[in-house]
Amino acid sequence: MENKNPLSPHIQIYSWNISLLISISHRIIGVINIVALTLVCLWIALLLLGEENYEYIKFFLQSFLGKFLILGLTWSFSFQILSEVRHLFWDFGYGFELITSKITGLIVIFGSFVLTILIYLIGKQII
Amino acid sequence: MINATKKWIFLKVSSIILIPLMVWFIINLVSIYEKDYVDIVSFFSTQPSKFLTSLLMIVAFFYSSLSISEIFEDYIHDKKIKNIANKTLYTFFIIVPLIIIMVLFNLNI
Repeated sequence: MENKNPLSPHIQIYSWNISLLISISHRIIGVINIVALTLVCLWIALLLLGEENYEYIKFFLQSFLGKFLILGLTWSFSFQILSEVRHLFWDFGYGFELITSKITGLIVIFGSFVLTILIYLIGKQII
Repeated sequence: MINATKKWIFLKVSSIILIPLMVWFIINLVSIYEKDYVDIVSFFSTQPSKFLTSLLMIVAFFYSSLSISEIFEDYIHDKKIKNIANKTLYTFFIIVPLIIIMVLFNLNI
């Protein structure tokens, strides 16, 4: 008989909370980041085509969409970095209490936006 | 040591290596993405950039292959499909970093 029980992490059964939101976002953003890194690899590979051909890519990267994609990538990297640090604390046995888990979850969400701004300002040498 | 334990240790070690590399790369990406061809090639032509970018790609694709295989484990019921998906994933995630390392070591200004 076919087993129709849901597999982990049962997102269609449990009610949504911060931990669940961060958990599923960590997975989705991890996949988005590796797709983005594959595109970064393609971007680096396209440099081999020479300066003239690169003008099209430069035009795209300087457009609103290009800047938006880089900003989005900065946020998704920031989110994954903070979420990964949260996981590492768990691995060392810290932060399992319900209230701590909620607070660190909120730090990951709001901290990712702060870190994005910080990385962008450092990258642009504004600070 | 069972395979699941080895996999977990590999995941954790790679994530510890990945965090500083991601910070380094994203700061540099923000600083160079709008620049001219010559500036970008100059950046990737330096030895530290070649080394750190290569290391980032190897560790990121290694970490992702382990993470995504966990997602397959959780969501794909059919064993045959899961096996094919894992093999495709591992092949793709070995080829991409190899190509980018070859590209990086052929980039010169």
